[in-house]
Amino acid sequence: MKAAAFNYARAASVDEAVQMLVRGGGGAKLLAGGQSLLPALNLRLMSLDLLVDITGIAALRGIRVEGGTLKIGAMTRHADLLTSPEIAAHAPLLAKAIAHVAHPAIRNRGTIGGNLAHADPASELPACMLALGATLVIQGPSGQRRVQAADFFLGLYQTALAPDEILIAIELPALASGERAFFHEYARRMGDYAIVGLAAQGKPAGDRIDALRLVYFGVGERAGSCPAAARILQQRHSPAILAEAQAALAADLQPQNDHQASAAMRLHLARTLLARCVNELLGRAEASA
Amino acid sequence: MNHTPADQPQPAPTADAPRNGYTINGKLYFAEPQPGQCLRTFLRERGVFGVKKGCDQGDCGACTVWLDGTPVHSCLMPAFRAAGREVTTVEGLAPPDGSLHPVQQAFLGAQAFQCSFCTAGMMMTCAALTDAQKEDMPQALKGNLCRCTGYRAIADAMHGRAEIAEDIAGEACGASVPSPLAHAIVTGEARYTMDVAMEGMLHLKVLRSPHAHARIRAIGRDRAMAVPGVAAIFTWEDVPRRLYSTATHEDHLVDPDDSYMLDNVVRFAGQRVAAVVAETEAAAEAACRLLEVEYEILPAVFDPVAAMAPGAPRIHDERGEERGNIYADIHGEIGSVAEGFASADAVHEMTYSTSRVQHVHLETHGSIAWQGEDGRVHIRTSTQAPFIAKQKLCHLFGLRPSDVHVFTERVGGGFGGKQEMISEDLCLLAALKTGRPVQWEFTREEQFIGATTRHQMTTRVKLGARRDGTLTAIELHVVSNTGAYGGHASETLGASLGGPMTAYRCPNKKAAGYAVYTNMVPGGGFRGYGSSQTAFAIECAIDELARLLGIDPFAMRRKNMILPGDWIESAWNDPSDVDFGSYGLDQCLDFVEGALAKGGGLPKPEGEEWAEGTGVALAMLECGPPTEHRSGAQMRLLPDGSYHLAVGSTEMGNGSITSHRQIAASLLSARADRIAIVNADTDLAPYDTGTFASTGTVVAGQAVRMAAEAMRDSILGFARRHTGADCRLDDNAVICGNERVGLAELYAIGTRAGHHFEAKRKSYLSLRSVAFNVQGIRLAVHRATGEIRILHSVHGADIGRLINPMQCRGQIEGSIAMGIGWALTEQMVYDAEGRMVNPALRNYRIPSYADVPPTEVFFADTYDRIGPLGAKSQGECAINPVAPAIANALADATGVRFPHLPLLPDRIFAKLAPHA
Repeated sequence: MKAAAFNYARAASVDEAVQMLVRGGGGAKLLAGGQSLLPALNLRLMSLDLLVDITGIAALRGIRVEGGTLKIGAMTRHADLLTSPEIAAHAPLLAKAIAHVAHPAIRNRGTIGGNLAHADPASELPACMLALGATLVIQGPSGQRRVQAADFFLGLYQTALAPDEILIAIELPALASGERAFFHEYARRMGDYAIVGLAAQGKPAGDRIDALRLVYFGVGERAGSCPAAARILQQRHSPAILAEAQAALAADLQPQNDHQASAAMRLHLARTLLARCVNELLGRAEASA
Repeated sequence: MNHTPADQPQPAPTADAPRNGYTINGKLYFAEPQPGQCLRTFLRERGVFGVKKGCDQGDCGACTVWLDGTPVHSCLMPAFRAAGREVTTVEGLAPPDGSLHPVQQAFLGAQAFQCSFCTAGMMMTCAALTDAQKEDMPQALKGNLCRCTGYRAIADAMHGRAEIAEDIAGEACGASVPSPLAHAIVTGEARYTMDVAMEGMLHLKVLRSPHAHARIRAIGRDRAMAVPGVAAIFTWEDVPRRLYSTATHEDHLVDPDDSYMLDNVVRFAGQRVAAVVAETEAAAEAACRLLEVEYEILPAVFDPVAAMAPGAPRIHDERGEERGNIYADIHGEIGSVAEGFASADAVHEMTYSTSRVQHVHLETHGSIAWQGEDGRVHIRTSTQAPFIAKQKLCHLFGLRPSDVHVFTERVGGGFGGKQEMISEDLCLLAALKTGRPVQWEFTREEQFIGATTRHQMTTRVKLGARRDGTLTAIELHVVSNTGAYGGHASETLGASLGGPMTAYRCPNKKAAGYAVYTNMVPGGGFRGYGSSQTAFAIECAIDELARLLGIDPFAMRRKNMILPGDWIESAWNDPSDVDFGSYGLDQCLDFVEGALAKGGGLPKPEGEEWAEGTGVALAMLECGPPTEHRSGAQMRLLPDGSYHLAVGSTEMGNGSITSHRQIAASLLSARADRIAIVNADTDLAPYDTGTFASTGTVVAGQAVRMAAEAMRDSILGFARRHTGADCRLDDNAVICGNERVGLAELYAIGTRAGHHFEAKRKSYLSLRSVAFNVQGIRLAVHRATGEIRILHSVHGADIGRLINPMQCRGQIEGSIAMGIGWALTEQMVYDAEGRMVNPALRNYRIPSYADVPPTEVFFADTYDRIGPLGAKSQGECAINPVAPAIANALADATGVRFPHLPLLPDRIFAKLAPHA
C-alpha cells in the first residue's frame, strides 16, 4: 500500500507552520506524530499536497506546572507523558489513560496534540480532557485563542480547529487536594479500541462524591459527559442512588450499534463501569453490580 | 533498485548530518526519498531487507526499527523524518565484532520463531525494553504480532531459556537442534520472497471489484495510462481465456475449473478486475484508481442456504440448471441412523456454525516473475506448492514445463493460504508482455478481501445414545459456504465429514454435505481443513449429550472413542487406506484430565460476576490427504565429504527443513550441520505436490528417509567393496574395520572408480496413519461484560515420535493460539452488500501476546509404524479441539450453550446479562 505523493516541510516555529497552512490552503495538513495520519495516507483514505512537520518546534514540547495549572506542549509524546512525574502527580487520570493508548512503538511517536486534533471517538484522551476540564490553546493567523475542551470536540473526527490553526498546548487544572481519578475501559482484547470506557474525576466526601465529572468514550460519535448522573451521585451513596445514576446514563449517552457491541450492551457496560467508578472513588470493595 | 553512486554508503557520519543524510546502521546515505515515501520502503530500497511489511498501518510491528535508539514503526514514518537521524535495523543490532546482541542470542537459544517474518521487528522491540517493561511483556509486546508461535517461545527467549540441543552425530532425530537458518533469521539475513532488488523491476497493482456480483461492460484505460510511469494495463480481454482453479492439489480434478485470470464477470467484492504495471508501486496504485469501469450490477446472494433455494441468483450460470449453486454434495450412511435414534434413550440435536477467518500469515502473498537470459521464465513466489503452481502456469500460458522455473525463498507463513496460486499468474503475464521483471506484493487489505479464507460451515448434529452413554447414532448435515469459487470446496467438505465423525465408534452414522457457491470471498485451504469446523460441532454436541445423560465429558468420550483394531470409518462403506500406525488418544485424554484436575494456571478472578468452567474436546486426524500426494528427495555426497539434500517441499515456518535434515543426519550417523538442504525449487529439487494436508513429515519426510537410507547404502556399499571390511558411518567418515576413512577421501576414491554417491527416492502417501489431539480448558467468563479469560490450557498430542521436540511443541502452541483467535477474537465482518468492513489487523484481531495463555503440552509416548522414523503428522491438527474445548468450558461455566463462533462478548452478553 502506497501513499499518494506529498511534499514535506519542517516548520521551525509555530508562526512559520501557520503561514505554511495558510499558503497551502486545504491541501496542507499538520504532521505531528503521524500515527493516525500515516495509516490514512498509506490506505489512500486521504491525500495531501503538503505535510507540515511541527514536531521539531521545541516550544511545543514539554510539561510544566505553573501555579495550579499543568501546561503540556501539544507535541509532547505519549511515552513522555507516561513517564512524567508531573503528570503522575497532578493529572493521574491522564497517566492511567495513556497506558491504554495503542502500544509502545506508537506511544514513542504519537503526541497528545495530534491525538486530540484527530478526535477519534474511541480515543481515551479527549474523554480525559473533558473530565479534567482542560483548556486547549490554539494559534492561527489572527493570533492565539483558548477553547474549553467541552467546546473543542464537535463530533466524529471533528474539532473546533480551523484548517489554518494549530493546537499548541493543553492546560489542565492540577489535581486538587482530595480529588481522585478513575479510568477503565472494556475492550474485546487488550489494546483494542474500547467498546466502552470511562474517565472520571471527583472529590469523595464521606459517602458522597463532589465535583464529579463522568466522561464516557467509545459510546457515540464523541466523548460524552454525563452531568445528570454526576449530579445524582452528589447525594449520599446507597444502592438506590447508584441505580438512579445508572438509569440517568440513558439520557446522556447515545450508544451506537456496531460489530463490536449492541447499543444495549454498551449502555449496560457503561452502567457497570459507573458502579466500579463509584466504588473505587469511595474506596469501597466492589459490590456486585 | 538501481542506486545512483551518491546513494552508496559514505564514510563516517558527521556530527551534523545534512538534510538529506540518513544514517542507517552506522553508514551515512545521501538520498532523496520519493514524495510520500515511508521509511520502511526507503530502507528496503537501500537493500536493508530485514525491515518487513506486515500491514503498513502500524498494527503488526514487523517493520519496527530504532530511530535514535527508540523503536518506531517505519511504515508510519515519512522517510523525510529520518533525515539527520540514526536508524537502526535488525542488520545493525549485533555489535561489529561479529558476535550477536543478547536478544539475538536469546531468540536463537529459544528458537523463538517459526516463519520468522515477525522476528526482526520483535527483536528490535525486545532489545529496547527497559527492565520495568520486561516485567510486563503482554504490554510491552502489544505492538508486535506473531501468527506462528503462540508467543511461548518468545516468552522463553525473554526469560533467557535456551533449549537448543547440541548437534551430535547420529543423534539428530529426537533432539531440539536449531533451524539451519537460525543465524540468518536472527541477523536479518534470511531472504523472503520480496527481499530482492532487480534491475528494471516493474510493480503490479490490481483494481478489485467493489461489487459482489456484476458484469463488466467496459473498462476505460485512458486516464490510467496517462499516469507517468505506467507501462501496461491488463483486463479480461488481455488474458488467456482459459479456465482453471487457483487451488493447488496433485489431482487437478478435485477442484473445479471455474476461474479466469481476469474475468468479465465479478462474483465477489474484492475480485480482480484489472492489473496495472508501472515503474513504481505508487504509480500503479494511482493508475488503478483512474480506471473507469462500467459495471452492470447483478443480484447477489451471500447465504448458502438462500443460494440453494430455487430462483436464487446464479453464481456460475454455465453450470447445469438442476445443480444450481450447489458445487458439490456428499452423502453416506452406514447402518441405519433411523434405527439408531429409535433405540436411543437420549437424543441431542442442534445447529452449530463456525465463522470465516483468514490465515493472516505475516508475509502477504507475493511473486516476482522475469524472463531470464536462459530464455526461460522464472517465478520467485510465496507458495506452499511451487510444482503445482508451475503446472498451472504452463496450462494458462501454454508454456513448456522445461521453460518454467518456480521457486520459493523463505516463506513467511502459509497455514493453507498459500495452497493457492493467486499472485504468480498476473506477474508472469506482465513479465511476458513487457519483457521486464514484475513484482506484486499483496497489501494486508488484499489478504482479507482478495485471498482465501476458512470455509464458513453450518453443521446440524444429531446424536443418540443409550443411558450408559453408548452412542447409537450420529447424523451430520453440513452446509459449506465456498464463496464465489470452488477451490478446496469438495475436499474440505469431505474432510468435514471425515475425522471428527470417525473419532467415535458407532454402528449407525449418516452424513450429508453441501458446498455452495455464493457471492462471498472464496474459501480455501486452512489448517484443519474442514474437519476443524465439524469437530467444533460434534465435540460440543458430545458434551451436550453427556449433560443430558449426566455423564462426565471424559467418560463419555472414553466410552465411545475409536480404539486400535476398530474399523476406521465415517459414513462411507468404501474401504479406506487409513490404519492405526500408532495410537495415543487414551494417553492424551488421561493427561488432559489429570492436568485439569491437578490445577495450575491462574485462579478465578475475584467477584461473583465471574463464572468458571472447564471443557475438553478431542480431534482425530488422518495423516495426509485422501487425494494423491507425492514427494521426492535426492542426496549427493559432496567432494568435501558433506551432504547435499534437495527436497521439493516448501518450508513456510513449519520447520520441515530442520526436521528433514535431522531425518537424513540420523540415518547417515552424521551431525545435522553436515547436510546442506535446498527445497521448494522446480529446477533444483525433485517434484513435490506441496506442503499441505499434514504431509511435510509423512510424505516429504518419508522421501528424505528413503533417500538418506539409499545414500547410506551407496556409501557403505562402496566402502565395503573398497576396503573389504564391515563398514559403518560415523559423522564425516566411514569406519571400516579398524580403519577410519574420511568421506572426502572416500568420495575421491569412489568417483575415480566411477561410483556415484547419489540417491533419489520418491514417496507416495498410502497407507496413512492417524494422529490425535486433546485440548483441555479452564476459563472464567464475566456475566456482565462477556469477557472470557482462559485460566488454564492443557493439550495432549499424539503425533508419534518427535523429530524435533521444541519444534513440535512450537507447532502445537501456534495451532492452539490460532484456535483461540478463531474461538474468541477473530471476525470478518461484512456489510449488506458483501463488502468486508474490517480488512485490517487492528480490527480483525489475531491474538497478541496478551491473548495467549501458556499451554501445558503433553506428547503421547507413541512410535508410528507407518510414518518416517516413528513420526506422524505434527503441525496441523492441534487447532481442531481448541474452539470446542473453549465452548464446552463456557457452557460448563454458564449453563448456556453458545453454538456459534466466535464467542464474542456481545453474544455472551445477549444471553447472560441480567438487563439484556
